[in-house]
Amino acid sequence: MNPLSSMRRQRSLLECAPISARQTADRSMRAALSRADGSAEFADQQNFDRAVARLVRLIAIPAESAEWFSEKDLVPVAKRTWKSTLRNPAVLAISIAVAVIAGVFVFNFVSHLNDFPGSATARKLLGIAASTRPVMLDPVSAEAGTLSDLFFMKHGLEHYDVPAEFADFATIGCRVFEDDESRRIAQIWVSEKRMQFFLFPAERDSKTGAVQRFPGWRYVHQEGWTGAITEHSGVCFMAALRGGDKDLAPYLSQPKE
Amino acid sequence: MLGDSRKAQEVFHATLREAAMRAARGELPEEPFWLFRDARWRCLEATKSDLQPESVDLEERDVASEAESQIQRLDPMQLAIWISAAPDPQRSALALFYLDEFDYREILDIAELKLSELSRFLAKGRRQLQAWLNSKFPQQSKL
Repeated sequence: MNPLSSMRRQRSLLECAPISARQTADRSMRAALSRADGSAEFADQQNFDRAVARLVRLIAIPAESAEWFSEKDLVPVAKRTWKSTLRNPAVLAISIAVAVIAGVFVFNFVSHLNDFPGSATARKLLGIAASTRPVMLDPVSAEAGTLSDLFFMKHGLEHYDVPAEFADFATIGCRVFEDDESRRIAQIWVSEKRMQFFLFPAERDSKTGAVQRFPGWRYVHQEGWTGAITEHSGVCFMAALRGGDKDLAPYLSQPKE
Repeated sequence: MLGDSRKAQEVFHATLREAAMRAARGELPEEPFWLFRDARWRCLEATKSDLQPESVDLEERDVASEAESQIQRLDPMQLAIWISAAPDPQRSALALFYLDEFDYREILDIAELKLSELSRFLAKGRRQLQAWLNSKFPQQSKL
């Protein structure tokens, strides 16, 4: 809008300025009123309009018609129904956003409900298990329980012991690697159900350095893989396979917690 | 707007009857101002057979700072007749504006006017009313 037509529009708006001092919802009218504020000409116009409006209110309305307006609004306010409120785009958008936030919150809450010290590391290792191929491991044919000595003698890893429940399984290969936090992880592949074992340092308290222990076996799940974890002497052992809790449960001597 | 209370009452009742019948048929329009627009058209219909205001150029004067005191001396019915004597759509614009129940957008909607038209009718109406007031209640010249 060019300045001339903008001025013309403002002049037009001022001619239609509201008589009462009620708040106007129209932004362009508010802008025009604020510009005219203090002008003597506009003040005269407003006084004129107010005086005429006062006189108009005194014009007698036929009694028969007047009683219709005694307790009724001239413009009935449309009552909002629940349906129309819910159909309002703003309400709809806010409801969806709240539902999504609540969903994420509940999902996070539920997924962390069964958390235990080392569960985050265990989930990462399940990811590694899913991407590991046999050629990536050093071929070893032995019983899993005997590899503790190998880890100690060759890599200096103390207490990297395979629990008795899994000690008799025949191995296909093993390796020791460091994860992204430079923790040394032992990985064993066994022929039984193409299961993989992981041995890794248990979580420690950041202030005291004490091992954060947890009793019995715990389960973690990631990308269709399930891991059963237990802690012993500051080292966690995880047996992982593609499947669910019921595939691992028969191997565990203790009930799931 | 009609300057005749009997006709105003007839229009009022006819409009209400129409609204009641539409409501009974479940055909009430969604938009809130149809009743006022309908009443306005009935008013215009009702005055069709009356003597129509002549299209004459009335005298016009700038709105005076003393106008308020002049208006106070006016009888309400005189003002009603003065407004009803204005040619439409100026009459509708003045009647709806000084009723002080509608904002300008609502008046544009009811009277089916553009902003520039409404503004012109109101400005002209004020100047004509001021000229009439000056002729009716001449101001004493200040010493």
